[in-house]
Amino acid sequence: MKKQSKDVKNRQKTSGEDSSSYFRPKSKEGLLQILRDYEEDFTIIAGGTDLLVEHYQNLYKIDRWLDLNWVSEFKEIKIYDDKVEIGSMVTHERLYKLDKIKELYPVIQQAAADVGSPQIRSRGTIGGNIVTSSPAGDLLPPLLVYDAKLKLISKEGERVVDANEFFTGPKRNVMENGEIVEKIILPLRDEKYKGAWVKVGKRKALVISSISLALNLVFDEDEKIKESRICIGSAAPVPLRIESAEEKLFDKKASKVKIDEVAQIVADEISPIDDIRGTAKYRRQVAFNITKSALSEVINQ
Amino acid sequence: MKITLTVNGKKREVEVKPHTRLLDVLREDLGLTGTKEGCGKGECGACTVIMDNKVVASCLVLAPQADGSEIQTVEGLAGKDKLHPIQQSFIETGAVQCGFCIPGMIMSSKKLLDEKINLSEEEIKRGLSGNICRCTGYVKIIDAVKEASHKMQSGGEENV
Repeated sequence: MKKQSKDVKNRQKTSGEDSSSYFRPKSKEGLLQILRDYEEDFTIIAGGTDLLVEHYQNLYKIDRWLDLNWVSEFKEIKIYDDKVEIGSMVTHERLYKLDKIKELYPVIQQAAADVGSPQIRSRGTIGGNIVTSSPAGDLLPPLLVYDAKLKLISKEGERVVDANEFFTGPKRNVMENGEIVEKIILPLRDEKYKGAWVKVGKRKALVISSISLALNLVFDEDEKIKESRICIGSAAPVPLRIESAEEKLFDKKASKVKIDEVAQIVADEISPIDDIRGTAKYRRQVAFNITKSALSEVINQ
Repeated sequence: MKITLTVNGKKREVEVKPHTRLLDVLREDLGLTGTKEGCGKGECGACTVIMDNKVVASCLVLAPQADGSEIQTVEGLAGKDKLHPIQQSFIETGAVQCGFCIPGMIMSSKKLLDEKINLSEEEIKRGLSGNICRCTGYVKIIDAVKEASHKMQSGGEENV
């Protein structure tokens, strides 16, 4: 009889252990160790609310699951003097229920409340939303308007990427094979800022947005707009910041902003397509309307 | 691989494959067929169960992910010879038509009422937004949750 070697690290064991095709590291170090020990490709699972739908639909074979749900560091939210770090495995439910997120990053909080349904929000994660990189990902425009940075780790090392430079196309991003999003880093500002979030879809729950908008305006002591960010989701291959519209707002007093002009730039700059969730023409019109209403709301607050 | 779950208060040990769904563990391995499969992609809510105090679509949870967790299904609600006030209210208000969505509706309602007993209509609608009824009878389902809230506030919970 063939003897089993003793140094096999993932031999099937009882509850609480890794099995030969399912790995669940409990810590970041444990995760890196698995990435170092095994050359094979893993299918990395976070909340599973996108991945499992696709998996069960197509029934493609997954040889090795690497489950991030047990990595304790990835579930942490840390607040520093100048930044907030959100672990990639923080769920939408936690994001929208936490008072601190509501206070510091209201646009993220509102977008998280609009994701899917209670059943999806309890499992789906911010990291999963980012890595899936759908142009319709609800949390992506809010991350872009707050100048988020993403910390990626792999067995080779780590790097930090601007969220604005992370997305390269529908479901495509700059991540290399073997990289994992560890956390999202959001700057904390001293100045006053106000934001807005709009999601337009065919129904309120469980809907992929037809178009979405995130807005954040930073004001100086004289109530002038010191910095502005407008980002549109579902209307281009990536969540798209409209920089020419942002420039129009720079250094303006709220009362001097020409809202219609800015809204028109947004409608012109996006590159929507016709699909099941709406036509390109519809999306341009709605882009104009929601930019106008969001700007009016924030400026007249 | 082997996983251990506490289902409706009882410890259960099940042999699973990594890609087995929690839904299949409940229905096939444990025989708890109250939890239904509707769409199989997290959109209809028929497979809703409470896992570690969170509502989840059990069709989108891998069995190994539920290892060590506490699961509540519709079978665990009723007392020895008395229905849970939520179940009783669904009957009394006529909220049940074909019945397929009801176990999921009830588990979502349970989670809602566990968190907050006095719910506005908006809160009920939002809490049930992940559950679809294709007989299209939401009005009575919302009435049922309101009725359950009354029952539970006036002490209907003692038998559970």
